[in-house]
Amino acid sequence: MEILAGNELLSGAAVYFSPSGEWVENLQAARTFAKEEVEARDTVIATSKRTHRIVGIEIETVTVNDGILVPDRMREKIRAEGPTAPYAHTDRQHLSEDGHVSI
Amino acid sequence: MYRYDEFDAAFVRERTSQFSDQVHRRIAGDLTEDQFRPLRLMNGLYLQLHAYMLRIAVPYGTLSSKQVRMLAHIARTYDRGYGHFTTRQNIQFNWPKLRDVPEILADLASVEMHAIQTSGNCIRNITTDQFAGAADDEIIDPRPVAEILRQWSSLHPEFSYLPRKFKIAMTGSPNDRAAIRFHDIGLQAARNGAGETGWEVWVGGGLGRTPMIGKLINSFVRHEHLLSYLESIMRVYNRYGRRDNKYKARIKILVHEEGLETIKAQVEQEFAEVRGGRLTLPGEELDRIAAYFAEPAYERLTASVVDVPREKILNPAYGNWLEHNLNAHRQPGYVSVTISLKPVGGAPGDATDTQMEAIADLAERYSFDELRVTHEQNLVLPHVRIADLRAVYDGLVANNMADGNAGLISDIICCPGMDYCALATARSIPIAQELTRKFESEARQRDIGGLKIKISGCINACGHHHVGHIGILGVEKKGGELYQITVGGDATENASVGKILGPGFEAEEVPNAIERLVDAYIARRVSVDEPFIAAFRRLGEAPFKEALYGNA
Ligand code: SF4
Repeated sequence: MEILAGNELLSGAAVYFSPSGEWVENLQAARTFAKEEVEARDTVIATSKRTHRIVGIEIETVTVNDGILVPDRMREKIRAEGPTAPYAHTDRQHLSEDGHVSI
Repeated sequence: MYRYDEFDAAFVRERTSQFSDQVHRRIAGDLTEDQFRPLRLMNGLYLQLHAYMLRIAVPYGTLSSKQVRMLAHIARTYDRGYGHFTTRQNIQFNWPKLRDVPEILADLASVEMHAIQTSGNCIRNITTDQFAGAADDEIIDPRPVAEILRQWSSLHPEFSYLPRKFKIAMTGSPNDRAAIRFHDIGLQAARNGAGETGWEVWVGGGLGRTPMIGKLINSFVRHEHLLSYLESIMRVYNRYGRRDNKYKARIKILVHEEGLETIKAQVEQEFAEVRGGRLTLPGEELDRIAAYFAEPAYERLTASVVDVPREKILNPAYGNWLEHNLNAHRQPGYVSVTISLKPVGGAPGDATDTQMEAIADLAERYSFDELRVTHEQNLVLPHVRIADLRAVYDGLVANNMADGNAGLISDIICCPGMDYCALATARSIPIAQELTRKFESEARQRDIGGLKIKISGCINACGHHHVGHIGILGVEKKGGELYQITVGGDATENASVGKILGPGFEAEEVPNAIERLVDAYIARRVSVDEPFIAAFRRLGEAPFKEALYGNA
């Protein structure tokens, strides 16, 4: 399965494309794309790029375990949760203005 | 310290307002990300894993109290209350919002700071010995020349689109504390037969994918010709450096592929043309700049020694701090103090806004308003009266910065790694944190003695792992992390690149593996006076390889 990840322009926060057509903070709310949905996926990428609000869109592969989306790459796991180092400032970045970004 | 002249101030102001306009246009949708990206990078604004990251230049690692207070203000107002000091003597903020960046840059400009040339294929911030102008082993204070190089390299029209980024480091002392042999150009103060002072020029050093020790291209360049000589090197590099392959674009590859003699001949040819021309540095200009770095108003004190053994009995933690965190000063009655940013379990190089305020206060009261950033991610109060050491220490204790571990096993260099960095292949901060916990005991650290561990989260080697006595490199393996351990690196004048002795380790195995290396060293050292790196050189790889992998 694939999901679309990116960074929101104003906050830089990691965001994921959701089934409702918005980019949201929660990776678990990401829309998954099956292999045969390449066209739909690429349309979302193109449309999102045109909004200028989502930066560095990447296609990430995930595995679904008991309904939980688990990114295959460690990097993406960390991106979804925030820095792992047990330290005082480790919460992930949040969207500062709108809670979500529509395409 | 150097003060901006009118040109500097006007330029930084202009650039700040230009970038502010670009940010507004980007937010309004008038600029695409493809158009905006190079503009933000030119102003030090990166987009990392979780957020933007702003990298601010600290020219030759020198800061005033006022500047540090402004950094604290930025951390508190626009970020999350902390900043990260880097191996390039810069500071990075990890969480700025795009809309705030113009204001941050305006705040920085008000204290003569900026983020220009902290990214891109240009000449980056020039780094120096953190004890410049203070160390007792110094031939010459490198800061005036560093400032001249800063002015020369800032927005140099010919060198703002080089084949790749370009890093210059310099030291005025024969004891290299600035890792000059691992920079594109390294400068080391030297004396010629006539007793005149000039510069040894090293070229083609670097870390990253292809670590190389710089080569001596000229053993003596006089001050007045230094700019012409460096410009000649830059021209040769700009002309012949490879632009076809990013991984081969640094000058180290050019020097390696063409050979030092070829490059030297090309540089000499260029130098013959420009020598004596517009870049010749008149003595008066050097004096004018040097005046900004005039000695502070030291008190005339008689030489005194710090009675470390006595203090160790009276107060072991203070004694330990005195033993490790002081550097001899050329002015009698003074020392330089290293402020450790390496607490047990902390992220190396991080300082909170409160800590920065406290450091600024200490610098103002006890160090003539001056501070330095070290490439080992600590801070330095360069000129402290011996009589004030206790007060400085108490101020540090109150702010959790009194670890007496400078140069010891817990004084780890560590890049941000995958917890922040978009290029990382593995995390590095948690490894540093675990290692500091493993070797938490002060007594044990003292017994181990000088040992430099350096950790990078990818092959780009921002954490200088190649030159760690023990280096750790995090790589990606089957979606997880694996750590390669190298042994025998050295960033000083006895430069060497560490060797990989065998396969990598899982994260949780790393602390024990490092402990086995340390135990192997302790079991075999001639005496406590033989440091780890000396023992490694004497013994060779075999016992360390065995310690890591057994006999199999
Ligand atoms: S070494 Fe790699 S992971 Fe570490 S800061 Fe540099 S680029 Fe990022």
